[in-house]
Amino acid sequence: MDAVTRIQQIGMPRRNNELWTFFPVAKIPAQEYAGTGTATEAAASLPDFEKLIANETDFAALLPLAKNARTMVKAIPEGANEMAMLKCNDDFGHTVLDIGKGAHVSLEILDNKVQHEIVAERFDISVGEGADVEIFFANPASTLPLRFRHFRITQAASSTVRFSNILTDSGIGRISMDCDLDGEGASFDYRSLSILDNTASMHQRLTIRHNAPNTVSTQLARNLLSGSAYASYDGMVVVGEKCTKVNSGQLVNTILLSEGASVSVKPVLKIYHDDVECTHGNTVGELDAEQMFYLVSRGIPKEAAKKMLMASFAKETFYPLPDTPAKKRLLQTLAV
Amino acid sequence: MLSIKDLKASIEDGTQILKGINLEVKPGEVHAIMGPNGSGKSTLSKVIAGHPAYKVDGGSVELDGKNLLEMEINERANSGLFISTQYPTEIPGVNNVEFLKMALNSKRAYLGLPEIGDEEFKKFCEEKMQLLEMDERYRERGVNDGMSGGEKKRNEILQMAILDPKVSFLDETDSGLDIDALRIVANGINHIMSPEKAVILVTHYQRLLDYIKPTYVHVLRHGKIILSGGPELALKLEEQGYDWIEE
Repeated sequence: MDAVTRIQQIGMPRRNNELWTFFPVAKIPAQEYAGTGTATEAAASLPDFEKLIANETDFAALLPLAKNARTMVKAIPEGANEMAMLKCNDDFGHTVLDIGKGAHVSLEILDNKVQHEIVAERFDISVGEGADVEIFFANPASTLPLRFRHFRITQAASSTVRFSNILTDSGIGRISMDCDLDGEGASFDYRSLSILDNTASMHQRLTIRHNAPNTVSTQLARNLLSGSAYASYDGMVVVGEKCTKVNSGQLVNTILLSEGASVSVKPVLKIYHDDVECTHGNTVGELDAEQMFYLVSRGIPKEAAKKMLMASFAKETFYPLPDTPAKKRLLQTLAV
Repeated sequence: MLSIKDLKASIEDGTQILKGINLEVKPGEVHAIMGPNGSGKSTLSKVIAGHPAYKVDGGSVELDGKNLLEMEINERANSGLFISTQYPTEIPGVNNVEFLKMALNSKRAYLGLPEIGDEEFKKFCEEKMQLLEMDERYRERGVNDGMSGGEKKRNEILQMAILDPKVSFLDETDSGLDIDALRIVANGINHIMSPEKAVILVTHYQRLLDYIKPTYVHVLRHGKIILSGGPELALKLEEQGYDWIEE
């Protein structure tokens, strides 16, 4: 099955579709997806690719393929130690990464420079046994009107993935993520910071499937929202039947810096085993009044104190990361 | 220097906590304020600092002839007022040294002085840290983040040493301090103190006053100063409590 056919089957995104509950779907231009829609040669050569398309339910995952995205396939050999930057030079991109056993990989995703009505990228990442992977992006504020980034990550036993990002777009954006922890002991860590102003609208939709015992997932999303910015976080965790000793945590912290800013959060836990520990939490508030008072009472002007507290809230998102290029880059971005 | 006249203040629900405080503090003086829990001692410090949880119902607070109550909170600090609260606020993520440098440079900007550079500040800060026997770890930590009660109080005095205020209002600086830390903190305060400056100490115990000799001791009760005296008053209070005092 090709992506166009699959889009026609599932239909365009609607608010009554649980994957798109909070997204301003009316902003997605009603386009004809009548391109060839067939997978490029590179994509078509991937194992089970057709099956993957046939089972895909997220429009954003299909869009790049329906728009004939070029597929970049990269294999990182077993045990390799690699740092790479990924950049898509077209409106629509598809990246396939096959990371070998025990590899240590640091991947930064850069922005493309296109400035069109709609931009969509898809990443299919397979992580081999025992591999340690960090994926991050902290791009300058983009003015793209509509941007989708979809990630499908599958992890083998004892692999680790740390996925971190800073989102500062001024348009409408959506990050969608399907992560399958297929091997015992695999762990996935997701950290996201959204700093949004004016009418920016940023949406994150994650599904993390614990398909093996002793798997761990953590999600931390922080939002600093000004103007009439809007952020949403839709995070689902699924723990399979025989998946004992799973540990999963989800936390969303939002600071609303203006009356007009807003946030929607939807945690979903589907747990089919008793011996697991799964938590979720959500906080929404303003900057801490006592902390503000403390800084200002030492002579620091109110605006500067506010910036210090915002920076501290932002930086804390990434402090727990190990000292790798990702942490350095993310904190550097926040220091500017 | 600091002149508080008939200061009245209440909390949000309208309950009046300060019911007419009068206090004159001259350069070189150390004033100790004592009193039972809930008498308004901490409220007094917060009202003078401009804490938004309190409403001033009347009176005035002047520092060198300028009405502090008409100033923004940061202006009060930059004019020479330093308030150390009983429970210093933790601010994880804001680096202690960056915060201290920002505070000092804010004061310098207010006074029309140029910014202090990184190297100069580092040296200056080191000197003050040595005075308070603080180790290098303080530099890397967030403001009061994860610090013990004693470490927080020491950190407060470090701020005082760096900002060099005219009047310092120290609210229960001795609480949470072990014997050695009490001595170090008290020595630090004595070192910072000079004939041009003044300190107001809120305390429950004589032990701090063994190290920092007060010029005057005041008893605050039910939102008013009901008795003032010399250092001997603190000893009498330690011995006999507050029940003998008639309002």
